[in-house]
Amino acid sequence: MPRLILFHRLILRPLRREPARTLLTVAAVALGVAVVLAIELAGSAAAGSFRSSMETLAGAADYEVTTAGGIPAGVLTRLALLQEPLKLDPRIEDYAVIADRRRTVPFLGVDLLAHRPPEGPSDSASFSRQDSIWTGADLGYRTGDRVRLLINDHANEYTVRGVLGERSGEAIVMDLAPATRILGRAGRLDRILITGPAPLDLLQRAAGPGITVAAYGSRTAENRRMLAAFRWNLRVLSYIALVVGAFLIYNTISVSVVRRRAEIGIVRALGAPRPAILAAFLGEAAALGLAGGLAGILLGRAMAQGAVGLVAATVGSLYVSSTPAPIELTLATSLLGVALGVAVSVISALAPAWEAAQVPPVEAMSRGRRDHQVRVHSLRDLAFAAVLALAAWIASRQPAIDGKPLYGYLAAVTLIAASALAIPALISGLTIAGAAPLGRLFGAEALLAVRSLAGSMRRTAVLVGALSTAIAMMAAVGIMVGSFRQTVLLWMQDRLQADLYLRPASPAGADRHPTLAPEVADRIEALPEIAAVDRFRAYEITYQGMPATLGAGDARIVARYGARPFLSGANPRSIFAAMPGRDNVIVSEPFANKHHVRAGDTIGIALAGRPVRLNILDVYYDYSNERGYIIMDRSTLLKYLPDPAVSNLAVYLKPAASLESGRAAVERAVAGRKVVVLTNRSLREEAIAIFDRTFSITYALEAVAVFVAIMGVAGALLALVIDRRREFGLLRFLGGATAQLRRVILFEAALLGLLANVAGLILGVLLSLLLIYVINKQSFGWTIQFHWPIAVLLGAITLVYAATVIAAIYPARIAAKLNPIEVVHEE
Amino acid sequence: MKSSALALLMAYRLALPGYHYEFPRDHFNHPEFQTEWWYYTGNLRAADGHRFGFELTFFRHGVSQDPAATIWDVNDAWLAHLALSDIDGQRFRHAERLNRQAAGLAGADLAEGRVWNGNWSARITANAHELTAIDAAFRIHLTLTPQKPPVIHGANGVSQKAAGEGRASHYISITRLAAAGAITIEGRAYKVEGLAWMDHEFFTHQLAPEQTGWDWFSLQFEDNSELMLFRLRHKDGSSDPFSAGTYIDAEGRARRLTRDDFTLQLGATWTSPETQARYPIEWRIEVPSLGLDAQLGTRLREQELAKYWEGAIELTGRKQGRPIRGSGYLEMTGYAGPVRIGD
Repeated sequence: MPRLILFHRLILRPLRREPARTLLTVAAVALGVAVVLAIELAGSAAAGSFRSSMETLAGAADYEVTTAGGIPAGVLTRLALLQEPLKLDPRIEDYAVIADRRRTVPFLGVDLLAHRPPEGPSDSASFSRQDSIWTGADLGYRTGDRVRLLINDHANEYTVRGVLGERSGEAIVMDLAPATRILGRAGRLDRILITGPAPLDLLQRAAGPGITVAAYGSRTAENRRMLAAFRWNLRVLSYIALVVGAFLIYNTISVSVVRRRAEIGIVRALGAPRPAILAAFLGEAAALGLAGGLAGILLGRAMAQGAVGLVAATVGSLYVSSTPAPIELTLATSLLGVALGVAVSVISALAPAWEAAQVPPVEAMSRGRRDHQVRVHSLRDLAFAAVLALAAWIASRQPAIDGKPLYGYLAAVTLIAASALAIPALISGLTIAGAAPLGRLFGAEALLAVRSLAGSMRRTAVLVGALSTAIAMMAAVGIMVGSFRQTVLLWMQDRLQADLYLRPASPAGADRHPTLAPEVADRIEALPEIAAVDRFRAYEITYQGMPATLGAGDARIVARYGARPFLSGANPRSIFAAMPGRDNVIVSEPFANKHHVRAGDTIGIALAGRPVRLNILDVYYDYSNERGYIIMDRSTLLKYLPDPAVSNLAVYLKPAASLESGRAAVERAVAGRKVVVLTNRSLREEAIAIFDRTFSITYALEAVAVFVAIMGVAGALLALVIDRRREFGLLRFLGGATAQLRRVILFEAALLGLLANVAGLILGVLLSLLLIYVINKQSFGWTIQFHWPIAVLLGAITLVYAATVIAAIYPARIAAKLNPIEVVHEE
Repeated sequence: MKSSALALLMAYRLALPGYHYEFPRDHFNHPEFQTEWWYYTGNLRAADGHRFGFELTFFRHGVSQDPAATIWDVNDAWLAHLALSDIDGQRFRHAERLNRQAAGLAGADLAEGRVWNGNWSARITANAHELTAIDAAFRIHLTLTPQKPPVIHGANGVSQKAAGEGRASHYISITRLAAAGAITIEGRAYKVEGLAWMDHEFFTHQLAPEQTGWDWFSLQFEDNSELMLFRLRHKDGSSDPFSAGTYIDAEGRARRLTRDDFTLQLGATWTSPETQARYPIEWRIEVPSLGLDAQLGTRLREQELAKYWEGAIELTGRKQGRPIRGSGYLEMTGYAGPVRIGD
């Protein structure tokens, strides 16, 4: 009980007295917790509890059969003839766009003869009609509705013959035969689901050597594995706001301790033991953390709603077509949120609370020493900072652990700690050097502001630390994304050499490769304006348990027109010359990194059920796909998969032909088909738009972290004003105008912002190097060239700076409103 | 005019008199006819006396005669039924499957000597029909050895079912096959022996619209003779004049029976809880020209599958004045709604 009274008198009462500041601190914690929770929830929904779009209607299968390029029908027959009671569900899997809803949904060809839909025509003839579809329950169609679907490069009307049952999602289902015709497939299947008891090795023997038979859900597990690194990095990013929040808690508790020094002294003198003091201040932190955590849960749930779309967009364009699961706020996640809030708060408060407990009663009670002079050993701390920086450098040289750049993150954290330790030295250096010139330039107010900042070094250091960390993170990610963007732009300049690009109107995705009818290419090739047509085909494959993309283009044309820079720096012409007709391939950099292969290695994959060994000639730079590419010549691909359909076309015009006339001729040639014709320029613009969309979640996380930091600055300045009421009162008494007082506060904010920006920029550049060369490389395998995104950086810093100063307006007004008589009377 | 000529060109062939039968060719597929089926039924007994009836049926129904554009196009729908009547266990188990020909998922092929639908198959050689069928709960593996040559029912190669050209089928039976093999029910295996019957029929549009169903009997007497009878029914329950039958004597000689050669009397009925259809499951058959008066009944009333009743039966009665016993199969269709072949 006495402790509770102590807690109430020493902690709760002061908190109540300053609701604005208390609210700001709680809000900072709440935002930090909310961001972590939002990313956790959105990540779970969009990537964690990963559900491929193709899982709809899969039921409770035991095994699934797949192979690159499609399963020959004979495999189904061999499985069907096995002397085991198996239910086989052969499927063709693709996507269709519902024209009037502009929505891409799974389009499945299934055996409607063997597994009859519950509704629809019962005679065997009409279920396999070309226009008969069955729709998933979630699409909301009714039997008899007419639906216009865009599939690959054609759009047609279909009739809903029936609505599928529960868990049919948004799928559109058709019989195998019409689906094969509409999709222009060669009679192969994409997947066979097997239900029933049978030993795996028996199934594997029946299926044949080039066919993958695996427990059902393996593909989902592969996708989950692929998404794990992405999710992990996203999660780490989401903790930035919480780290910034930790600085603020530290600041709040420090202020509390400093401010209540006299009370602590009295309480101690009256016999309170040290642990009681420690507990009281930790209790304050815990209370703030609890309140922040609870508020963070609600806020996080709301933010998750917005984040899930952003995360899903990134997953969709980089990895795999999926349907986000509903957001589920579980008790466990909620508890995690509260625990995070409390834990971060208590840990941040440990140092100031400890210090409070050490206050000797006599010293604290002695009057005249109102402001505690924190002993800041800036030189010793600077030495520590140097040691930490060295440790960070060593950590950055270490390899990834289990595909995760753990050492990279350790290096980042160490670097942030080093920066926090170096900040006092930076502040003293800058304030000592800057005091006189600033005073001369801006007058007494500036001088007062500089001195005050240097005087309360600890508080200033913490504020600069918090804000600079947020700025550093922002700058680092900004530099990384900007560099990445610039790298991609340059790479596209090299890579995209054709004048026109054609692809089916049905949208492509990382794992989705709609096709164009082969005659489109032939027709274009015959045009007088055209010099060459590169037919590119992509297939979705699995290599060593990870999804990858197999692509094939015309190596001769690429050698003639398009440069494709190789890691080895080898001459592209000689590499492309060695590809046609042979089992030689090039692989993309992410593929090489993920699977630890190099030029000269041999990899084994299965194509349409045939095992094939491929020699890697070289590794090329690629930024289009994180899954990784294996690229072969078209002749090699057709040898194994004789399906002439193409995924897209690169069209090279004759030098004499103008872009307009070439484009017009191509558009005439593809009239009647749903084909998108893009000029080189529009393709690049589109690619960059996708790139930006991919990183929108990153930007959003950044913004929250910076917002938390600015909130912190506002709160801290408010505390500063209240703390220095005596000083301000005295200044007013001595004839200071209210405008002058306001200026002092604004100057302090401006200086804080300046210091934080300087420190933040330095740290940010260092962190960006870590992100680009260690964390990103180890997580995703991309080589990013370092570029300064000067415009973005300047813009962001200016914004933060302005926000910092604006945050000081309210505290400045409070300071100006202080009644000097009353303040001095308190003395 | 042109379109009807085309329709004629594309049309399925009708079962017409004068068809020249040839074996083993005619044990297999006749895709030029729209509908075809292979029926295996039989009564079996395990070493411990446990009695079973079995049915394995392969149906083919022509859906389209358009040239197939893809491997998955359905020209023929292949349906198959598998049923096991556990007489002593008083349990009827059955399974059904529908497949397309695709890359050999189902079919009937002379070169391969088999009729199959997935892993249900009949391998047909000159000496034996080997049946295999697998379901989650039970499986059968039987070797059927023909004891008599195939019988062609009806007159001049057609079994007429209604008035009009082509309202008929080509109808072949092997009326006595010695059966031996194994039945496995939920992991328990029985070695079985018994007698089986095979029907094979192919036709295009055999029934007339007013014919709503049929009752079909295959009876195997202990004196080594057999009797096949079918009664075609009208909506009002009356018998169609084209109802007919065939008697096969111990030497394998077939004798055609017409509507006037036999009488059928219905006894007790059983109402299916599934379809609410009322099936007569006791019959009295009289064939005066054979001196036959027999009572038919079943020990397992519930033998309905997919809207028809098909089950093992037993008979007792008198033939040529002497008491006689026998067993067989009874099929009753159209009680749960009119029969539409090809559904």
